[in-house]
Amino acid sequence: MNQRTHPRVAASGIVRAPRPAGRRRGGRDAGRNAFGYLLLAPQTLGLLVVGLVAIGGVVQLSLTRVNVLAGTREFVGLENYARIFSDPDMGVILTNTFFFVFVLSVAGTALALALAVLLNQKLPGINIFRSAIFIPALVTTVAWTLVWRFILQPEGLLDGMLGLVGAGPLPWLRGGWLTLAVFAVIQLTKNVGINVMIFLAALQAVPQELIDAARVDGAGPWSRFRHVVLPQISPAILMVFMLMISGSFKVFELVLLLTNGGPGVQTSVLAFEIFRQAFRLNDIGYAAALAVFLFALVLALTGIIWQFRRRLVFHEAD
Amino acid sequence: MKRIDRRGSLILRRSGSYALLTVISLLFIGPILWMLSGSLKSINEILRYPPTILPEVFHWENYLQVFTLQPFGRQFLNSVLVMTLVCGLTLLIAIPAGYALARVRPAGAAVIFVVLLSGIFIPPEAVIVPLFQTAAQLGWIDSYLPLVIFTSMLATAPVAMFIMRQAFLTLPPEFEEAATLDGAGRWRTMAQIFLPLVRPSIASAVVFTAWFSWNQFLEPLVYLRSQELLTVPVALTLFEDPLAGPRWNVQMAATTLSVLPVLIVFLIAQRQVVSGLTAGGLKS
Repeated sequence: MNQRTHPRVAASGIVRAPRPAGRRRGGRDAGRNAFGYLLLAPQTLGLLVVGLVAIGGVVQLSLTRVNVLAGTREFVGLENYARIFSDPDMGVILTNTFFFVFVLSVAGTALALALAVLLNQKLPGINIFRSAIFIPALVTTVAWTLVWRFILQPEGLLDGMLGLVGAGPLPWLRGGWLTLAVFAVIQLTKNVGINVMIFLAALQAVPQELIDAARVDGAGPWSRFRHVVLPQISPAILMVFMLMISGSFKVFELVLLLTNGGPGVQTSVLAFEIFRQAFRLNDIGYAAALAVFLFALVLALTGIIWQFRRRLVFHEAD
Repeated sequence: MKRIDRRGSLILRRSGSYALLTVISLLFIGPILWMLSGSLKSINEILRYPPTILPEVFHWENYLQVFTLQPFGRQFLNSVLVMTLVCGLTLLIAIPAGYALARVRPAGAAVIFVVLLSGIFIPPEAVIVPLFQTAAQLGWIDSYLPLVIFTSMLATAPVAMFIMRQAFLTLPPEFEEAATLDGAGRWRTMAQIFLPLVRPSIASAVVFTAWFSWNQFLEPLVYLRSQELLTVPVALTLFEDPLAGPRWNVQMAATTLSVLPVLIVFLIAQRQVVSGLTAGGLKS
């Protein structure tokens, strides 16, 4: 290499060599590109192959009727999609799905923010409480759900606690809004710790001078939070909100382990219905159409919010 | 007088905060404590109403039953094995990709970045059907290949690539110039100059990937058949008596065993994790 002049000096960083003028840019770039593509190739090829198999496959399957026993496939066009809109169960399933999307994203973000503000105080031993809220996030979803099933079993801990105040046992997992609310609580407590940590990081990055300046200007605690802190942490809020939206479509494990979607489909959601149609009822084509529908919903919702980000987020322009 | 008042109100305010924080913390830790208590009760005591808070007699044999009802030790190692393989494959492809996108930047890097990141937006539930069919055609059912390959490509590598790219971006370009002047080739610059500097980010990519794999339920449920090959989350759901329903106490003992290693690691590394998570900062 022709640039190898004063290696020791350059390596120690004492002397910063000026960029060699008039180097052969073309040749360098070609080598650089080749090196870059070589490094990128494994992941890019892997993702493209698996991604095409996955997405191409699901779209293709959604246009067919698959007979698993006979091993035949028959092209049926958009029939499976038409079935989504005529399926009487879909009303309940979609209502439940959107209930979780709405509750988990809005309530999840609000709860995480409230807890983060509470945990952002400078109190001795505050880290113990921070850890406590983070612990459910360390437990697998399956473990957390099984523990909650144990708590919610008829005449279990929760019924026992209600009994202490003279209230009767409740049908926690027998369907209806109570069961949906129970699901929301289990899912919220499981994951809120991660979002609290994200918000704590954002809160601690807010420059103290801004808050002090607002205080000097006579802003009260709420006003300081609303007009100074909130705009500063708005990128974190947007991120948590989007994470919660895409995550809220996946209450799959809870539904499978706690109610199996029942009674009927009363507590089912779209992700669980895909699983049920595909792996329990062997209706592969319909399951694939539901999967495309789920995919479209996730993309549409996150896309809409991404479009609105300029209005929602304060220093997006930076 | 005034100073005492102020100190009094401070103590009052603080004890209010502590009371609130304790109640909230109990909501999050209570289920874990109930799991521990349930794991040591007899099945009769569990079914009694009203429930007892602490076990009357500590039935440690529940923990032995975990291993006699299922090959739980084997299943635990299976989970560790899958986790290790997913971490290995993910890092192997994501570190070079992140480095290329941050420091080499070949033509079209911006487009490739978006393509690689797009894996994050594919919900696993939406593509499980075609992936299962493909795995069946390839003879991958009841093996770890789909769990390792599909998961790495679609779920963990995109995130790990993103983490690594961010890490390599923060390093000053002078290192690269110095290394070039020093006569280091492109590979050496990457492996010996830059890689050691991003060790903390490699650690967070490993934590994320390991956690994702350890947590997986739908995929092992669909791809694995034989009991000796199952991973922990699926195995936990199978501590049931076909006639009498869930064996609550053994199931809680198994759940405790699955939770403990992670909790122990967390409590040891707690200071670093909590401060790392909060101080690491997430600038948009």
